[in-house]
Amino acid sequence: MSGVVLVSGPPGCGKTSWILSRLQEHRGPRAYRRLDGVDPEGRPLALDGGLDQAFLHDQIPDLRELAGATHDPAADGEGLLALIELPLFGPEIPQTLAPGLRPDRHLHFGRDSELPRQDTLVFGALDSWSLDLATEVWDPASLNSFWFELVNGAYGDVYRAKALVNLPDGRGFLFNWMVSCSGTQFLPLQSVAPPHGRPMRLSRLVVQGKGLDTVGLQSTIADCLLSDAVLELQQAPRRPRGEPLPATS
Amino acid sequence: MTHAVLSCLHANLAAVEAVLDDIDRLGIATITCLGDLVGYGPQPNEVVALVRSRGIPTCQGCWDEDIIEGLNACECSYPSQLAERRGQLAHHWTAAQLSPENRDFLASLPMSLRRDRLVFVHGSPNSQHEYLLPDMEAFAALERVVSAGADTLFCGHTHRPYVREFREGSIELRLRRPDGEPGPEAERRVDLPVRRIVNAGSVGEPRHGGTEATYVIHDEDRDTVEIRQVPYDVERTCRAILTVGLPPPFAWRLRHGFEFAERADDASHVCER
Repeated sequence: MSGVVLVSGPPGCGKTSWILSRLQEHRGPRAYRRLDGVDPEGRPLALDGGLDQAFLHDQIPDLRELAGATHDPAADGEGLLALIELPLFGPEIPQTLAPGLRPDRHLHFGRDSELPRQDTLVFGALDSWSLDLATEVWDPASLNSFWFELVNGAYGDVYRAKALVNLPDGRGFLFNWMVSCSGTQFLPLQSVAPPHGRPMRLSRLVVQGKGLDTVGLQSTIADCLLSDAVLELQQAPRRPRGEPLPATS
Repeated sequence: MTHAVLSCLHANLAAVEAVLDDIDRLGIATITCLGDLVGYGPQPNEVVALVRSRGIPTCQGCWDEDIIEGLNACECSYPSQLAERRGQLAHHWTAAQLSPENRDFLASLPMSLRRDRLVFVHGSPNSQHEYLLPDMEAFAALERVVSAGADTLFCGHTHRPYVREFREGSIELRLRRPDGEPGPEAERRVDLPVRRIVNAGSVGEPRHGGTEATYVIHDEDRDTVEIRQVPYDVERTCRAILTVGLPPPFAWRLRHGFEFAERADDASHVCER
């Protein structure tokens, strides 16, 4: 597979996993772009706060950012595989594509047989809530409890939950859960943050569901995140010996 | 004689009333309580008052101890930061609610109770905070029973009821003398009698996978143990949790009877405070 391929489908249908796997298989230059905003019929696109993009760039460090929506062999190089992800709220296929969006192929989950068949949900009637967790680090045991509570309905009827989270040992994980699938995907990031203060990678929680208790969510999350002092306590033993401690104010 | 043993009431009045009704209906007069009358739940005074009014012999649980001694009783028992924050919130709320009389009652409770070869504790004979989990290493578990001088050790604290028997146990000792020292090698085998740990589960915060309160009935004549599950008005307690301002996940946990519960990595730790 090569050229510019538009991949569309509703949340949870497996777009990102399929895209990752195709990009990993490809031997030539690789590029990716995720479309945000509204689809060509004016419907809002599913919000993910940049999680997929950050995860794919972590897994494929030389992944290019596709600037435009068309392929210019002179500029992009021969043998390029460029995948454009078009996230939708529902299973309907857009009748027209945005001006300037001229992919070589358009694959749609639920329509094209070369894509895996998966259960999907119609997300049009769901609330979407997102929390920026940049520089935040979770207590791992608390994260475990919180995620169990989240996907089992302690904060409303959650249909989809996705997060990029930081742990005190520098590891990061993409958590990916959908009501129609069994269990959560816990996908480790390849990059490991050094044991010096707070990690700078993108970190965010995105939840879609009904009757979400956003106050309760924020309250519990606040109880799960590490303070500077506790983070320092956990990072200090991971530094090479003899390395100076950070300055205190 | 048939007697009932209950544990971990956790200020859940509806559950305690339902269990006591069940015991009364069965005509059982002897009841022993393994502590944790308060904590997590919304009715600490009501539950303590009910236990006092019924004159139920009770030993002190970890929450009862913490309310008296303060939270420094065993900080190492919280398995996560989230559990610690919620636990502290529930602790401070409970401490503020508890009447002086009920606080004095909790302070007066013994760490263990004994009736012949039956011993009653909250966590283990070592500590109110130690968990005797059903899959604890057998030798360590047996040691807890033997060191308490018990044939049957009744405990709670894990919120999961179980009966664990130690049969056909034996200890073999072989003493070999140092090289060059004259004398025969010594060998001795000690056959151990049947010992048993009975965990009563939890009346007020069950974690056995269902919402029903649990307790146990022991028939001493037949030497049988029955784990009882008693339905109660869970919604009544959930509403009260939300009304008094305790963390909503406490009500959610109770309403769903989730088996999931946070436990310390080393559940059998002995606090060295």
